[in-house]
Amino acid sequence: MNELLAIEVEDLRKTFKVQRNREGLKGAFQDLFKRQYQEVTAVKDISFQIPQGEICGYIGENGAGKSTTIKMLTGILVPTSGHLSVGGYVPYQEREKFVKNIGVVFGQRSQLWWDIGVIESFQLLRKVYQVPEQDFKKRLDELVERLQLQDLLSRPVRKLSLGQRMRCELVAALLHNPSIVFLDEPTIGLDIVVKSEIRDFLRDMNREHGTTILLTTHDLQDIEALCSRVIMLDDGRIIYDGGLEELKNRWGTGREVLFQFGRSTKLAQLEAWTQQLPVKWSAENDLNAKVWIPLEINVSDVLGSVVGQADITDIKIIETNTDDIVRSIYQSGSAVKMDNPETEPEKDKVAHV
Amino acid sequence: MYYLGLISEYLKNYMKTRLTYRADFWVEVISDLLFQATNLIFIFVIFMHTNSLGGWSENEVVFVYGFFMVPFGIFSCFINLWGFSERYIVKGEMDRIMTRPAHNLFQIFLENVDPPALVGSIIGIIIMVISGSNLGLVMEWWTIPAMIILTLSAVAIYTGIYTTLTSLSFYSDAPTGILPLMYNIQSYGRYPVTIYNRAIQVLLTWIMPFAFVGIYPASLFLHREEMQRMAFLTPVMGIIFFSIGLTAWNYGVKKYRGAGS
Repeated sequence: MNELLAIEVEDLRKTFKVQRNREGLKGAFQDLFKRQYQEVTAVKDISFQIPQGEICGYIGENGAGKSTTIKMLTGILVPTSGHLSVGGYVPYQEREKFVKNIGVVFGQRSQLWWDIGVIESFQLLRKVYQVPEQDFKKRLDELVERLQLQDLLSRPVRKLSLGQRMRCELVAALLHNPSIVFLDEPTIGLDIVVKSEIRDFLRDMNREHGTTILLTTHDLQDIEALCSRVIMLDDGRIIYDGGLEELKNRWGTGREVLFQFGRSTKLAQLEAWTQQLPVKWSAENDLNAKVWIPLEINVSDVLGSVVGQADITDIKIIETNTDDIVRSIYQSGSAVKMDNPETEPEKDKVAHV
Repeated sequence: MYYLGLISEYLKNYMKTRLTYRADFWVEVISDLLFQATNLIFIFVIFMHTNSLGGWSENEVVFVYGFFMVPFGIFSCFINLWGFSERYIVKGEMDRIMTRPAHNLFQIFLENVDPPALVGSIIGIIIMVISGSNLGLVMEWWTIPAMIILTLSAVAIYTGIYTTLTSLSFYSDAPTGILPLMYNIQSYGRYPVTIYNRAIQVLLTWIMPFAFVGIYPASLFLHREEMQRMAFLTPVMGIIFFSIGLTAWNYGVKKYRGAGS
C-alpha cells in the first residue's frame, strides 16, 4: 500500500435495502405480513485516491451519496463491496484503533456534552482518546488561541451560539491531533464571519500540520477558499475528479457583456460593428443588448469596437462563477462538456466597469 | 484500566450535570423505591393467606427478593438500553459513538449511567440482612465472595439478554416492543421456580434464564440443597449469555445503516 496516500478507494459500493410501504390501510395490513423491499444503491463503484496533505472537496446534490461515502470512510458503515484504506487501516475492521488517527465533524450533529462546560467535554474526550496530559494542554492552548475560545471554555454547550459551538466542535475533533480530518458540512448555517474564520483555520492547519482534509459542503465558497481538488458526485457516481481551475476552464465557456444605450441602437448595427469577431448578440429592445464572448476573445476588443460608435450609458461584464458551473453540471448530470452555448450557465456575478 | 478510568470520568460527569437538578435525582430514587415496595407488599399479602409458597417460607421468599434487587440495581445503573433505538438509531447518535476509540456498546452504557438505581441494591442488602437474621443464617467465610461472584454473573445474564434483544434494532426499522415484555418475565425469576409448570420452568432456566438472577443463586445462601447445583451454574450461564449478547451486538453493528444524510 502506498504510504503517501491518505485515502484509497477502489470500486466502493453501498447498497441499502429499503422497505416499500404500500398505500392505504389495506396496504399497511399487507405490510404487516409480507414486506416488499427495494434495493437502493447509494454509492456505485467509485474509485479515487487522496494523497497526504491534500484538501479535497467532495460535492454533489442532496442524496448523491456524499454522506454515505464519508460514513464508509470513517468506519461507521460497512461497504457492500469494494476496497478502501484510510490512513493505512480498513476503517470498519479495526475501528477503535483506526479512529484515533482521524477527526470527524458532522455539521448537523454535536460531539460535545450538552449540559457540562466546554472544557469538561474536552477533558472527557482527552480520556476517551488517551491523549497525554502535556500534549493535550499544548494542543488545547494552541487551538483555543487560534479560534479565540478563551471566554467560552467554562460555559455549558447548550448556552453557545451556533458559531461558537461549531468552533468548539472543531477543537473537539482535533484535540488528538488526527492526520486525516473529515468535515461533513462544517459551515452549514453559519454567518459569513464565522465561515471565513473556519476556512482560514482549516487552511492554516493544513499548511502547518500537513493534515489531509476531506470536506463535503453545499457552499462552493468553502471549496473555492480551500480546495485544490474537487470530486463531484451524482447519483452515486463520480462525475468529476480534478482541479478546481480545470473545472472552471472546461465549463466556463465565456463571458457576457450587457450594454445600455442612451440612443436606440439596432441589433443589426451592433452585429455589423463586430462582424470580424465570433461573438453572439441578442437584444431585448433598442436600448438594451447583450453580447456573448468566447474565452479566447478579449473583452476589450469587443468593447473597443462598440464604445467609440454607440452612445453607451452603462456596461456590465458578467463572468461565470463556480456556483453556476456546478449548477449546470448537476442539471445535465455529467461533467462532459457540451459545446452548445445554450446549456451555458446562468450568470449572476456582476462587475461594473 | 482504560475502561475503568472511563467509568469514573463518566460518573463524575453524570454527577456534575445531575446534581444541578437535585430534585430530579430524589424523585427518581423515590419512585424506584416505591416500585420495589409494592412488589414486597405483594409478597407479604400472599403470605397472609398461606405459610409456604412451594415449600418456601415467607422469610426465604423475602430473602430471595432482597438478593434479586442487588444485581438488578447494578444492572439498571450501568446497563440502560431503554430508548436505544430511538436515540441512537433513529436520531443517528450512533454515528458519533462509532467515531470514537472505545467499544461502541461500552460507550452507550456509559452515556446512560443511572446511579440512583444503586439505591435499590443497598435496600436489597438490607432486606437480605433482616430476613437472613430472622432465618438464623450465619455468615460463612465464603458468603461475601460468593455474593460478589453470583451478583456479577446475574448482571452478566441481564446484560446478555437485553443486549441481544436491543441489537435487533439494527435489523428492523421500527423500534421493538420486546423490552417491556422482558421486564414482566424477569419478575418471575424472583419466586421459587418450582411453583410454575414445567414449560415455564424450562423457559426461565434455559431460554430466558431469569431464574439465575434471583432464585437459583439465592438458594445457595438459604442452604436449599435441591437448587445448589443450579446456583453453581450461574457464572457459566453469565458467561454464555454475555457472549451471545456481545456477538449479536457486534454483528448487528455491521448492519448499522446510519440515519438521514
